[in-house]
Amino acid sequence: MEELKVQVLNWFFHRKNESTRTKAKDRMRLMLIHDRLELPADRLASLEEELVAVVCRYFEIDRETTRFDLQQYERRAALIANFPLLRSKC
Amino acid sequence: MSGKVIVITSGKGGVGKTTASANIGVALAQTGVSVAMVDMDIGLRNLDILMGLENRVVYNLVDVVEERCKLRQALVKDKRLPNLCLLPAAQTRDKTAVNAEQMKKLCGELKELFDYVLVDSPAGIESGFQNSVAGAEEAVIVTTPEMSAVRDADRIIGLLEARKDEIQQYRLVLNRLRPGMVRTNDMMSVEDVLEILSVKLLGVVPEDEQIIVSTNKGEPVAGTDNTRAGLAFRNIARRLRGEDVPLMDLDELNQGWLSRMVRFFAPARA
Repeated sequence: MEELKVQVLNWFFHRKNESTRTKAKDRMRLMLIHDRLELPADRLASLEEELVAVVCRYFEIDRETTRFDLQQYERRAALIANFPLLRSKC
Repeated sequence: MSGKVIVITSGKGGVGKTTASANIGVALAQTGVSVAMVDMDIGLRNLDILMGLENRVVYNLVDVVEERCKLRQALVKDKRLPNLCLLPAAQTRDKTAVNAEQMKKLCGELKELFDYVLVDSPAGIESGFQNSVAGAEEAVIVTTPEMSAVRDADRIIGLLEARKDEIQQYRLVLNRLRPGMVRTNDMMSVEDVLEILSVKLLGVVPEDEQIIVSTNKGEPVAGTDNTRAGLAFRNIARRLRGEDVPLMDLDELNQGWLSRMVRFFAPARA
């Protein structure tokens, strides 16, 4: 209800409907995962590149829907990788 | 007597660590227990000002450690609360003047004299912080709902985790929350910060202009009845004593029918 009211008023006053609170929270979460692991910003991208290369030796994968990111569980992080497989390369 | 040593820390400077120390000290003493406050911000002493005790400082922490005076001589009694004392920092020395071993010994002695020993740690994560934590068994982390403060609080949590054997418990005080900005999605909420940091909450202190007024007077808000921040700090003190006190409803503050109307029609200014 509160959010709906804010949205209605934002529309009414032509305010940009973009929550800086959510933006801050998302940036924070990603930043802290990197901080806690002492992980340089470009490190994850190079890991993804290498993993994709390895998987691609065995399978043809759907690069469009490949998912590769870090998620927070309590104060730990988990690497979530999802490579949808199209067919094997035998 | 064996009291409890609690360190108040933040990582980032300027989030209200010393204000929180002063107010928690006053609020705890008001519940009837004896409290000693230790200003570990050597070289940048400020706790005496917030307490309105700057004119009564004779000896300081470094004098005690270097045995130029007795511990009891250096303790400054509060103006209103006879069960509240301050051990001031030295203003002319630096953070290296007291080491971890000396701090442990000092906290051990204070624990024999007081129910609670509150250590106001300096900003940063270097030796000043490490020494402040040395004698403590519990920690209070102060942060504001801003990204830089939350990031630094996370660093502190990491460092406290590494001292699990000594620091048995640490909890968060979220300071300077602006409920109006949270409502319009322009500030991270209590839940957002807790989720990001995965830490237990000790209390939430709303932004309150009375803090500045009280600092001018040298009388912490926790001592006066009708301020929002004062009530928040008194709740924090009760929780530190083990009482189960519900969070105050920040949305209900100042909500007469008129302010509700104003808020509805002008949410951006609320």
